[in-house]
Amino acid sequence: MSPLHDPPHLTRRQLFSRCSMGLGSIALSNLMNQGAAAAPAPNIGNPLAPRRSHFPARAKNVIFLFMAGGPSQLDLFEHKPALDKLNGKPIPESYTKGKRFAFMDSSGKGMDLLATRRAFTRRGQSGAWVSDLLPHTAGIVDEMTIVTTCKTDLFNHAPAKLFMNTGTGQFGRPSMGSWVTYGLGSECDDLPGFVVLQSGPRGPRGGATLWGSGMLPSTYQGVPLRNQGDPILNLSMPAPIRDADQRQLVDAVRELNLKRLIETGDDEIAARISAYEMAYKMQTSAPDLMDISGESKATLDLYGVKDPKEATFARNCLLARRLVERGVRFVQLYDTNWDHHGGVAENLEKHLPLKCADIDQPCSALVRDLKQRGLLEDTIVIWGGEFGRTPMGEVRESTGRNHHIDAFTMWFAGGGFKKGQVYGTTDDFGFGAVENPVHVHDIHATLLHQLGLDHERLTVRSQGLDFKLTGVTHSEVVKGLLA
Amino acid sequence: MKSPVLITLTVLLARVSLSAAVPTTVKFSREVLPILVENCFACHGFDKAKRKAGLRLDQRDAALAEHDGVHAIVPGNPEQSELWARLTSTDAEKIMPPPKTGKHLTDAQREIVKRWIAEGAKYEPHWSFIAPDHPAPPAATNVTHPIDKFVQVKLAEEGLKPSPAAARTTQIRRLCLDLTGLPPTPGQVAAFVKDENPDAYERLVDRLLESEHYGERWGRWWLDQARYADSNGYSIDAPRQIWKYRDWVVSALNADMPFDEFTVEQLAGDLLPKATEAQKIATGFHRNTQINQEGGIDKEQFRIDSVFDRVATTSTVWLGLTIGCAQCHDHKFDPVEQKEYYRLFAFLNNQDEPTLTIALPKGKAAAVTSAWKKTAEQIQSIIDANAEDFAKWEADLTPSSRKRLSKPILKALDTAKEKRTLDQNRLLYVTGTGAGVSEFMALNDRYTLLDEQLKKGDTTLVIAELPKPRKTTVFVKGDFTRPADEVTPGTPSVLPPLKTSNPSPNRLDLAHWISSRDNPLTARVLVNRLWMQYFGVGLVETDNDFGLVGSPPSHPELLNWLATEFMARGWSLKAMHRLIVTSATYRQASSDRADLREKDANNRLLGRQRRLRLDAEIVRDVALSASGLLSPKLGGPPVFPPIPEGVTSQGQVKRPWIMSSGEDKFRRGLYTFRFRGTPPPSLNVFDSPEGNSTCTRRNRSNTPLQALTLMNDAACFEFAVALEKLIQKQGIETAFRRCTGRGPDAAELAILQRLSRINAARALLNLDETITRE
Repeated sequence: MSPLHDPPHLTRRQLFSRCSMGLGSIALSNLMNQGAAAAPAPNIGNPLAPRRSHFPARAKNVIFLFMAGGPSQLDLFEHKPALDKLNGKPIPESYTKGKRFAFMDSSGKGMDLLATRRAFTRRGQSGAWVSDLLPHTAGIVDEMTIVTTCKTDLFNHAPAKLFMNTGTGQFGRPSMGSWVTYGLGSECDDLPGFVVLQSGPRGPRGGATLWGSGMLPSTYQGVPLRNQGDPILNLSMPAPIRDADQRQLVDAVRELNLKRLIETGDDEIAARISAYEMAYKMQTSAPDLMDISGESKATLDLYGVKDPKEATFARNCLLARRLVERGVRFVQLYDTNWDHHGGVAENLEKHLPLKCADIDQPCSALVRDLKQRGLLEDTIVIWGGEFGRTPMGEVRESTGRNHHIDAFTMWFAGGGFKKGQVYGTTDDFGFGAVENPVHVHDIHATLLHQLGLDHERLTVRSQGLDFKLTGVTHSEVVKGLLA
Repeated sequence: MKSPVLITLTVLLARVSLSAAVPTTVKFSREVLPILVENCFACHGFDKAKRKAGLRLDQRDAALAEHDGVHAIVPGNPEQSELWARLTSTDAEKIMPPPKTGKHLTDAQREIVKRWIAEGAKYEPHWSFIAPDHPAPPAATNVTHPIDKFVQVKLAEEGLKPSPAAARTTQIRRLCLDLTGLPPTPGQVAAFVKDENPDAYERLVDRLLESEHYGERWGRWWLDQARYADSNGYSIDAPRQIWKYRDWVVSALNADMPFDEFTVEQLAGDLLPKATEAQKIATGFHRNTQINQEGGIDKEQFRIDSVFDRVATTSTVWLGLTIGCAQCHDHKFDPVEQKEYYRLFAFLNNQDEPTLTIALPKGKAAAVTSAWKKTAEQIQSIIDANAEDFAKWEADLTPSSRKRLSKPILKALDTAKEKRTLDQNRLLYVTGTGAGVSEFMALNDRYTLLDEQLKKGDTTLVIAELPKPRKTTVFVKGDFTRPADEVTPGTPSVLPPLKTSNPSPNRLDLAHWISSRDNPLTARVLVNRLWMQYFGVGLVETDNDFGLVGSPPSHPELLNWLATEFMARGWSLKAMHRLIVTSATYRQASSDRADLREKDANNRLLGRQRRLRLDAEIVRDVALSASGLLSPKLGGPPVFPPIPEGVTSQGQVKRPWIMSSGEDKFRRGLYTFRFRGTPPPSLNVFDSPEGNSTCTRRNRSNTPLQALTLMNDAACFEFAVALEKLIQKQGIETAFRRCTGRGPDAAELAILQRLSRINAARALLNLDETITRE
């Protein structure tokens, strides 16, 4: 692990001022005298304490709105009249030669171009194209950098999601959120530094490994806020236990642990004492976070939250703002079912519009709300999926689109990203980039850069390699995306 | 005014007094090589694709050769050596390493390189590639145990003393936890403390090594490395049956199977002459790879991925080498070419992946049949008792609700009530009102399992060799769609050659090569990993990297001595455990000391033991033992103890978690069912690995989520309630002993007595000391 993470060395007196609240029957001076004869003063370290970045940061927090399944850029942001003209005609072979696709071989079916059924208009001062499926998002294009030339390496859901999150398709590597909290810690001392929220009919493919910490300590794992029961596992006390009992328990455990700390001089006990204190605080702070009854009607309406108890994407966007307000470093929202192949319950005509209706207003509300509260400058909002969808139609129950990795669209707002630009140019069909391709690793490098972290220096050594989010191949900060 | 000579002398003297011991000559492999590896080899090393200016510094001939009229190294003459000029250049264009790499040498490091060149620039192979010698333990007065001699001589060099022996209460608890993963009972502690026989401790060691729980504790250690779990991984993560392999590991360790055999059976048990069923089960080691069942995937891609994983796991576990790095390119630091990687890959590329069915032994079949009958009766009686509700459900079915039901269900519904079989009744009842009856669900689950066991026996995943080997090629950049040159099986040339009479060497030859006494790595890697379990850190800190970038051993002679002892003692793991735990080094107190903290903050010199937070499973086992709930039952299918609701529906596919009943609720953590994608939270939160890749060293994190688990988790609270009852019966002091192994002092007692009984029980189970091996 990098020297960035040496725990701060405290003096004995500082240690006691941190640990001695409610010390009860044991006289502090007595303990200190005992200690003087026994072990030396230990280090005390909260692994999530805020840390200095490599260089001055442009942003402090990240909210990643992950559209799991792969939203169709060609029906949302990429206006391609050539597709309309050549609808139903095979895509020229020069585009597809040597490419591999999920569920089909590049020689046979599924090679005919598919026109969009949507109407596109230029929006905002920037004149970015947005389809009629995203009327609210269209209203914030002047806050966004829309990147149409995103590029990834893997075309199946779970590996591609891992790739977007961890920079590799392999299971068991640290996710972006855990890298960021590892690098920067968190400004919040009563909630986890990396929080995951979910909406949609099921969990995202890839499951909990998407927010795993890999070879980083599990402290940096994403903590999913659950939609049923306790928002955080084991947050509520066992039935017969009251808050006063719990406080007594925490106090007693601290006193006993502190005594052992003095006797052994083991820093780990100091860390455990602060972990119990934070756990106790979380029991109040997490329910507070989830309780949005104090939000004004105007705010609820802005996001489109109808039932505050229902785990909708709208509610999660509102929670994302509340998390960032509380100093939580990295918030990731997963919304599932963006996989519009054209099969039953996944067609472009009916189901894509339904998905868009779920997320359109909340996305725009989040950006507007962050802005009006002065949080947008410090917060990077990212929208996108693990890949995009093909310009060619895929014939199932209806004609949908297949997974596509050569060019897809993501947008970025706040946190020092340029306002009101469309970045990158794709060919006439939107198949690949003709100018300014942006690989997932470049996105990672750019994000870390905005947070004040050098992607080359944020490393952890494991199995003989200095692992980093951006992998072993060269990747760069995309300056063109930044203000 | 001082003369220049005097100034130089003064500087030299200052340097001498600063560094405690200046050796007469610079040691290449310990002092120079790490500097070159860290700063130079990425561009001037083994990987020809990344080599800059055609210069390599990892071989003497190449480093001495002329390049454009200069020599990187001129032996005996630093001033003539371009290397020295570049290291000390003030020109940003010329200085090495280039500033943009962020690397630079300290003055002390430059000085080492300079002296090394001045002394003739002698190279020698990397230490771990040379077979270990068997050094005699150094002489040390009043020290008898060989390990202590090695350790104490080194401590004395730094002017440090070892710590006194730990309290006897600490010693017995430490030993019990380290050897069996279970804490001693208060009675065992008291007996040991009283036992004044000089061999009391040794007898305790023997007793614990004979305990069948030894195999469970060390089995888990091995299963981490084998990346064992009970599901297929990736996004679908369906359950799999491979627990027979887990049981094989536990019993092999309990039988103290020599480690070379243990190795051969797991890597190639199927290829042994007249392979037994057990030897086939052992090959489950390499079936612990993940299986991707996602739609639309390229199956070959994931088969190749599992072979990549097998190569990486084999080299990490046994050789302590990061050979996986050579999957895409020549290794940057270690002398392993990409081609050699694929020659190793070729050994592991010829497998078929069958499922082995294991018939139930006769005695067990009778027991299973009777349990099966009894369960059937219980199920029937529940169905009968609830017949009225069920009849109502059936009567209320409308044609449209019938539409949603599957064919077998409809068929059962269409069968006259009195003619329905038990299977049909179960099916209907699950569909209808039975889903809410938890007793029924548990019995139904049990019935299904017993029924399958009777019909099919148990199954487990194994490896078998294909009759005709697959063709293996190099893959360009590790990309399976880009095959290049064909390769044959072979081992890396930096290690001793493969000795076999087999014209086309196979996995069995590889297994013999790995476990051969000529292999300089296997024994060292293994004893180092044992050491790591006992002291928290290995003698080689990078336990999974004995290559050039790995850290050098803190006690090279001790490591060599242990490795050679291991082989001399017939690769007996139990002999090594006995050797280590009977040393005074192991038995020392673990408390920190001011002098140690100042001189050896990381305790690499072992002036004390180290407090270690228990492994996740043992955290559970200790709480179960302390509260008197533990089921000591050994082996068998994994169990489903209580976990928070909804955890296993966090993955892509929601997985049911039907809680075990009876003693299976209270089995050791080793037996808890593990979904890779959604692992049991109370194990995961304490860093139990998910089994996605080999884990040779666990993290020991310390987090608020652990606190929430121990304070609030329903299972933990159940332990506390049981401990509360014990407090009531046996008193708080005994409860304290059950948790920590020692008696409380007055202050501790006072704190606990202020609490309600249940809170006292909870406090004890939450103590740092309870979940720590001191």
